[in-house]
Amino acid sequence: MNSTLIIQSLISGVMMGSVYALLGVGFSLTWGVMKVINVAHATFGLLAAFFAYTALQAYGVDPLISLVVSAPLLFLIGCTLYHLLIVRITSAKAVIVSSMILTFGIAIILENLMLLLWGADPRLFTTSYTSKVIIIGPFYFQYPPVIGFLMSIVGVTLLHLFLKKTYLGKAVRAAWQQPDASQLCGINLKRISAITFGLAVSTAGAGGLGMGLLYSFEPHSHNLWLIHLFLVVIVGGVGNVLGTALAGVIVGVITGLSMAFLPYQWVNLLTFGLLMVILVVRPQGLFQSEI
Amino acid sequence: MNSSLTVTKTATFLFVGLVIMVLSFYVNSAIAAQPIVIGGSLPLTGEFAETGKLIEKGMKFWAQEINEKGGLLGRPVEFKIYDDESNVGKAVTYAEKAITVDKVDLLFGGYPGTAARAVMPVAEKHKFVYVSMGGHMKSFEQGYTYSFGAPPLMGEWWYEGFFQWMETVPADQRPKKAAVYTMNNPVGASLTGSIQKWTKKLGIEIAIDEKYNLPLPDATPLIMKAKQLQCDMLFANGFFGDGVMMIRAAKALDYNPKAILQGIGSVVPAWIKELGKDGDYVFSGTSLFNKLNFPGNDKLNEYSKKEFKIDGYPLYFGFGYAWMQALAQGVEGSKSLDQTKIRDWLKSNKIQTIAGSMTFDDKGLPEPINFCTQIINGQVELVWPLNVQTAKPVYPKPAWK
Amino acid sequence: MKSDQFSSTNSNRLYQMIIPIVLVGLALFPFSEPPVYFISFVFWIFLYVCLSSSWNLIGGYAGYLSFGHVAFFGIGAYATAMFGKIFSLSVSLTLLGTIPAGLIASLIAIIVGYPCLRLRGPYFAVITLCFAFVSQLTVKNLEILGGADGLWLKTMDVSVEINRTIFYELMLALTSVTVLVSFLVGRSKFGAGLRAIKEDEEVAQTMAVNAPRLKITAFALSAFFPGVAGGIYACYLSYIHPDVVFDVNMSILQVLMALFGGASSWIGPVVGAVSLTVVNEGLSTFVKAELARIIYGCLFIVVIVFMPNGILEFFSRRTKRIDN
Repeated sequence: MNSTLIIQSLISGVMMGSVYALLGVGFSLTWGVMKVINVAHATFGLLAAFFAYTALQAYGVDPLISLVVSAPLLFLIGCTLYHLLIVRITSAKAVIVSSMILTFGIAIILENLMLLLWGADPRLFTTSYTSKVIIIGPFYFQYPPVIGFLMSIVGVTLLHLFLKKTYLGKAVRAAWQQPDASQLCGINLKRISAITFGLAVSTAGAGGLGMGLLYSFEPHSHNLWLIHLFLVVIVGGVGNVLGTALAGVIVGVITGLSMAFLPYQWVNLLTFGLLMVILVVRPQGLFQSEI
Repeated sequence: MNSSLTVTKTATFLFVGLVIMVLSFYVNSAIAAQPIVIGGSLPLTGEFAETGKLIEKGMKFWAQEINEKGGLLGRPVEFKIYDDESNVGKAVTYAEKAITVDKVDLLFGGYPGTAARAVMPVAEKHKFVYVSMGGHMKSFEQGYTYSFGAPPLMGEWWYEGFFQWMETVPADQRPKKAAVYTMNNPVGASLTGSIQKWTKKLGIEIAIDEKYNLPLPDATPLIMKAKQLQCDMLFANGFFGDGVMMIRAAKALDYNPKAILQGIGSVVPAWIKELGKDGDYVFSGTSLFNKLNFPGNDKLNEYSKKEFKIDGYPLYFGFGYAWMQALAQGVEGSKSLDQTKIRDWLKSNKIQTIAGSMTFDDKGLPEPINFCTQIINGQVELVWPLNVQTAKPVYPKPAWK
Repeated sequence: MKSDQFSSTNSNRLYQMIIPIVLVGLALFPFSEPPVYFISFVFWIFLYVCLSSSWNLIGGYAGYLSFGHVAFFGIGAYATAMFGKIFSLSVSLTLLGTIPAGLIASLIAIIVGYPCLRLRGPYFAVITLCFAFVSQLTVKNLEILGGADGLWLKTMDVSVEINRTIFYELMLALTSVTVLVSFLVGRSKFGAGLRAIKEDEEVAQTMAVNAPRLKITAFALSAFFPGVAGGIYACYLSYIHPDVVFDVNMSILQVLMALFGGASSWIGPVVGAVSLTVVNEGLSTFVKAELARIIYGCLFIVVIVFMPNGILEFFSRRTKRIDN
């Protein structure tokens, strides 16, 4: 087996996995903090990608710059959605189950709104750097995945710092670890939850953009993205931001290695198979669940 | 008061609701229709919505045209199109619904191939003529007598034209080694046979022959392998998403084979629109072509310019139109809406469509089609057969820009 | 919804009267010579009632949300198809193969369930989802199972009406058995054990509930019916493909149907499956494609916001309030 190919496959895998991680952290956060599984998480990412696509086509705005507008917008959408809908199901017997049905509905609505607004054609980001490449030794680093990778590092780090260093972030963590006690300490659980949800949705926007840099997208693409989200979050440990990031890389490495050593036909199968094994061996995810 | 009675109440309530619903379907279907109704399902939402919508537009354009001319057998035509949500099981039930509830006069052809494969036996059982793309050669070999591919989307024929042209290229200028990457689904499976057969015949060595399951995580390692093995011919037998990844990775790695064949993803308008210059010089096949000098093509092109803002109508738009043309000629030829008469007429007569004139064999297929296309300067050109060539093939492929 | 509500003899008598009438009515329905489509449509309703009811055994009663249940449906479909193909049997004989196919699905459920059922909550959901993908991709990659091309089955040499009626009656029978089993399990000690596991597995174990054994039994049982249903479906469709019979959307839909109706009783999945299938069909018939989907999406939101624990609980609470 030739080593260049193995390492190149690993590079591919890691880049890809890191973008999954960026898309996944917010998903992990709402799940961990609020016990809300947001099935529409990837759909919001897709929405940001379509938004960026329009900005790029119509005004030549770079997808990354469009995030300046779409991320706050998604934050607001997230907060609004929380106050309008999510808050109503937090009293249900099984929040996880109810939240999945609720957000499944949201995902269907968003998908078909996108179908109405943008049509069914597949889209691509074509920018000045699309087919640029950095060559280091025998290895190739295509610009779009590298940008996705960097975005992921910045995004995950920012989220991590926010949770560890800011008052608001600490309140979010407190609300997750000790919901009752934190409420006694004067933390407004509703407000914190709304902010968390908004934040998660806006990171989905960044993740969706990263996916758009790597792959073509159309209104139903979020279904595919969602499956990878679940994998990354579960392997990383629910609610664990850094764990999710690492899990993204691990999933990427698994994919990369199987691309190098196996017929491509078996790559996806092996990825899912190995994840099953990981789950059986470490039923709580690879990393302890904590923010 | 115990709550079990409540359960019963709820259940009764819902049961009554169901009965009312079913009854309302009955009543709905009982209203007699004056126009000729053509029914069936297309994937208008979900995974295959892009293509489904193009086919729908092609069919509707045909209907508009024929209604302006006074209709079919003097009666206006009307569509009853269900959205099967890209679900094969639904496509089957909607075909049955069109036939038995709406009592449609004619059935239209569906998409994609997996749906067509499942609907063909239903059409056969109900004795309804089913003109569609079919589900590649295997579906036409099941002994159905009411199914027609007019024209079909036939993976087995897709590269025929390319190889026939390649045979005319002097042996020393032909590629030596081919890398074949094929998606693992019915389309991919139907493409590989002709590649095996022809590469052997032309003395091209297949250095890589790999399948992959969708979604493809990344194409870089695949292209790198092809580059390392110095394959000067690349078969990227995939849909749009993975096809684009292959092309982009090839450009990034500056892998420039003499010829790139992209089976099925490059036939959608998005290929040229989204990929731009990078999508140039890709070879593919087709079943019909917008620049061919068959009556009707110019009108379709005019419409496409207005509707899709592109030169030359998209393949699937043409499919929708051509299938309806074939069906309509069966109706007018046999002067009846009797399905068996339509079938027998189609089997024994020559029809004219935008894809040319065709006659059908026992399987319901026309003569093998050997069109080869290449995208040159953002335009799809026909490069084979020679008598219909719209541009000379660009070979070997120029360097990436 | 609690199990004790079925204890009243009064309501039992009501059930004893209504259920046979409904069943006989349903069984006779095809003979009223409706358009074939209605037979097929009700066949689909049965199929979904069967799938969501059997899912409910493990997902609703025990609270183990299996998101990969379509795997057993697909395994059943392929096992039946291969059974017919290897022995080159006629369709009616192939249909006999659905029972062993169901058993194979159960066997695989035991093998897979043994390690997987140790996982809790969402982890179990994801591992079963992975399992569905693994089985789909395995079938796709194995040429002997038809690979990416799928498999064609023989079709019955009878008229369409008879053909559809046969599948209708078979599915009705299977669905009745499934719902009956679900009902009986719900009232049994076994079902009480599963509910205890759902409430709190640790506590249940201290109360001498053999949790691992109960779970695996429930899982195997809940895989059997989809296996048989898959076999019937394969013969019904006469062409199967991994993308069709291992469709993850189907997996998700059967979970949603059960939760939609209310997953803690036997009738919840029935109500959920019937109402969702009928509403979806109505939407597809009367509303433009995208709009139909959007309304369908709104339906989930409205139901869950106003009836957070399923339709059934909502109605029973409502009437309880009125009765009081």
